[in-house]
Amino acid sequence: MDFLRQTAWLVWKDLLLELRRRESLLAMFFFGVLLLFIFQFALDLQPERAAEMAPGLVWLALVFCGTLGLMQLFQPERENHCLDALLLSPIDRAAIFLSKVFFNLILMVLLEIVVLPLFWVLFNVGAWDRLPSVFLYGLLGTVGFCVVGTLFSALTLSARGREILLPLLLLPLLIPVVLATIRGMEIMLRAGDFSESLPWMHLLIGFDVIFATAGILVFEWVVES
Amino acid sequence: MHLEVRRLSKSYGFTWALKEIDLELRSGDCVALLGPNGAGKTTLLKALCGLLRPTMGEICADGTRLRHGPARLQPAIGLLSPGDHLYDKLTAEENLRLFLALYNRQENRGEIGNALAAAGLSDWSGEYVAAFSSGMKCRLSIAKWLLLEPKLLLVDEPYGVLDGSGVDLLETHLKNVCRSGGIVVTATHHVTRAVALCSRAIVLRRGKVVFDEPKRTPWDSIHRVVGEFMPRGEAWTS
Repeated sequence: MDFLRQTAWLVWKDLLLELRRRESLLAMFFFGVLLLFIFQFALDLQPERAAEMAPGLVWLALVFCGTLGLMQLFQPERENHCLDALLLSPIDRAAIFLSKVFFNLILMVLLEIVVLPLFWVLFNVGAWDRLPSVFLYGLLGTVGFCVVGTLFSALTLSARGREILLPLLLLPLLIPVVLATIRGMEIMLRAGDFSESLPWMHLLIGFDVIFATAGILVFEWVVES
Repeated sequence: MHLEVRRLSKSYGFTWALKEIDLELRSGDCVALLGPNGAGKTTLLKALCGLLRPTMGEICADGTRLRHGPARLQPAIGLLSPGDHLYDKLTAEENLRLFLALYNRQENRGEIGNALAAAGLSDWSGEYVAAFSSGMKCRLSIAKWLLLEPKLLLVDEPYGVLDGSGVDLLETHLKNVCRSGGIVVTATHHVTRAVALCSRAIVLRRGKVVFDEPKRTPWDSIHRVVGEFMPRGEAWTS
């Protein structure tokens, strides 16, 4: 119970700080919308090809926006050596990790709630009835992104040139998530058939579970070394 | 609480910040940690509270080896570092409430109010820490450790930012920690104040303990050692 209570307090702290600092969500939101408009102007996407292209383009935008958010994820802890204050307190390091994953997930879901429907409208994708199942794949992919991203954001916390290092380390590792999410989304959008997309869902769930477990286990070593 | 430090060494690359430190700290000890810049005072404090992993050696608290960052022992260890360890965009009260929760202490609004009042920050409880001066941040840190009641309180150069009443508040708190059976280690350059406050002095130089003695009256040896190892401008600031 203490673990959950402490995790909840840390998430509350991060949400409150984000509400007051408005550094991550606003930047992610505007960057996401900007990317969609750039895609709209740059690609002459016909409605019949929109379903084929939509998952890739949406996920490209989400990964870029998410990486922007990851840069700021530990910013409050960098100021005034607050990470030391957390490490000094008697909390499980996994609580710090999970609180950051949850906080990042909340930001990403808020972003997706805006970006996905906007994309549907801008590119005239249609098939609105399939949007929830597409969103489900987006959610599974987002969990994987947040878990790996949080771990690498912590890993590069005190690295010089972390703004360059973080995407360089993160993006190759995200290839399975990006691939599975895009393929799953595309199948759902095209056929709306869960059974056909099941292998991709299994891959996503497996990735999420493996990296969440690995993150919980190694986070202590990552932040303390 | 009984703290034993055995052959503790810490290196940053090829530079040794601490070299084979042996120390024993017992309940009620109020220790002044002195030394010139770069002597290893802050490194020793961070190693004692588990924020730094020693390169060699070990620290034992009550017979248990203090592994790096042991959650079990940490409620007992506090680090008061002026201006640090507070979230700028949380109010004074929110900061205290957060740390009470993280230390598994029951939230008590009256208790938080009392701690803020004791630190002279009653009127500032709803203000963001970002608006605080360095001295006020230090007072808030004192209020935090007043609430959390650590058994071992490590203090890193507190005098530079506090005004007269702030110094009184801090020293009263440190004396109370020692009186209640805790241990206080204060790293400072303000020798006169440290000598007046503490029951024991340790002088570090280039990562080695060059002096470790309980307080005496008169205490000529400390003045001799400090005069020898610390630049006079720093050593006798009061």
